[in-house]
Amino acid sequence: MNSIRDDDLVLYHYRDGLTAGELAAIGQALRESAPLRARYAVLCATLQAVDAQPAATADAGLEQRLWQRWEEQTGSDGVPDRRHADTLRGAGRVRHRAGARPLLRHAATALAVVAALGVGFLIGRQPAGPQAPTPKPDVAAVGKSELSSRVLDAYVAAHLRETEGVVLTAVNSDSAALLAGNRELAAGLIDSNRLYAQAAARAGNARLANFLQQLEPLLIELANPAGTASVQSSDGLRDYVDKTDLLFQLRATQARIEPQRPTTI
Amino acid sequence: MTVDDERVSKARQGDREAFRRLVEGETRPLYAVAARITRDPGLAEDAVQEALLNAWRHLGDFDGRANFRTWLHRITVNAALEQLRKRSGREQFLADAGNADGAEDFLAAHADELPGPEQLAGGGEIGRQVQQQLERMTHLERSAFVLRHHEGQSLEEICGVLAINVSACKQAIFRAVRKLRGALEPLR
Repeated sequence: MNSIRDDDLVLYHYRDGLTAGELAAIGQALRESAPLRARYAVLCATLQAVDAQPAATADAGLEQRLWQRWEEQTGSDGVPDRRHADTLRGAGRVRHRAGARPLLRHAATALAVVAALGVGFLIGRQPAGPQAPTPKPDVAAVGKSELSSRVLDAYVAAHLRETEGVVLTAVNSDSAALLAGNRELAAGLIDSNRLYAQAAARAGNARLANFLQQLEPLLIELANPAGTASVQSSDGLRDYVDKTDLLFQLRATQARIEPQRPTTI
Repeated sequence: MTVDDERVSKARQGDREAFRRLVEGETRPLYAVAARITRDPGLAEDAVQEALLNAWRHLGDFDGRANFRTWLHRITVNAALEQLRKRSGREQFLADAGNADGAEDFLAAHADELPGPEQLAGGGEIGRQVQQQLERMTHLERSAFVLRHHEGQSLEEICGVLAINVSACKQAIFRAVRKLRGALEPLR
């Protein structure tokens, strides 16, 4: 091999992706060349630094939670077989198709929000107070209310996931092209954020409504940064995200409202 | 027939206790690999949960050629990747942006200033830098790197898991290592 690139050294390190001849040539070059050995030492130190990181450990309750949920999920299962696989793969395909059609998804979102707002509005217009007799719970009305609440939760959870992605990209990315795309995504989230906040307020979920209202200035800032993606502005955003625990709040709110999803393989 | 073989056989017939005994010692290693890929405790736990469910339901597909633990790890890796896919549909966008990093060499020679084992093990600044670089990686880069470096899978196996070709797989690992190299920069 005439010139040994760093990428070749990576493959050499893992003894993978190179022919026996190439491996031998790099081994020979390493024995003969001090500069190459120095480069290889840097690679090894880099990978050792990764190895030195402690593996993630879960809390003591992990097993209990896993098996409890496993029992719940498989309680009605008989002998394991392939029928489940087809069902699961089918569910995965449905979701995949939904993901591949953003226009359809947006239309569905808009319809769901309008429906949730409508139900919330109608509920808000119902007379309340001591004069309204409530001898029996109206099962149908409760069902509609729960349904609209679940629809709203599902769309807000998806909205929060997108917001989290936008924040992560804004904080972590240095790519101008990526940040430009990210600004567009943030701009697209502002209106839906406002709608969801209103719908949550109408549905009586003040906590969620407040949280969404707090997100709006951030989304506006992400959509219209003061200057180009300068180091200062990204540092400022990073500080803000760290200090306010924003990512944690986003994930916690998602986890709180997200409906149970079916599993896929 | 090993104890594991016997348990696999019983579990296939619907013996839940046999399945539990077969898997229970593996949940923490599975969690560790899922956490390496997802970098998120919640997603990692979800991935293990899904892996247990899928392993139970697809036990009939386990043909016994691979080690059961290897099979279980593969299912967990897929579940972790699925968690990431669910969370972000913009992976390809991020991966494409990563391609702009360039292919120039990055292992500049400063061997005499490299951190010693005690510095590496001591955490601190290097640890923080490594964590930061792992966060910066795209899902594809991190998954490919974890599978190659921590799980010891071959490029060919990784291609199968990630559904990419060998060239893309190599490039993802190169970009991951290049980013990790940045973790040692502040020490120079």
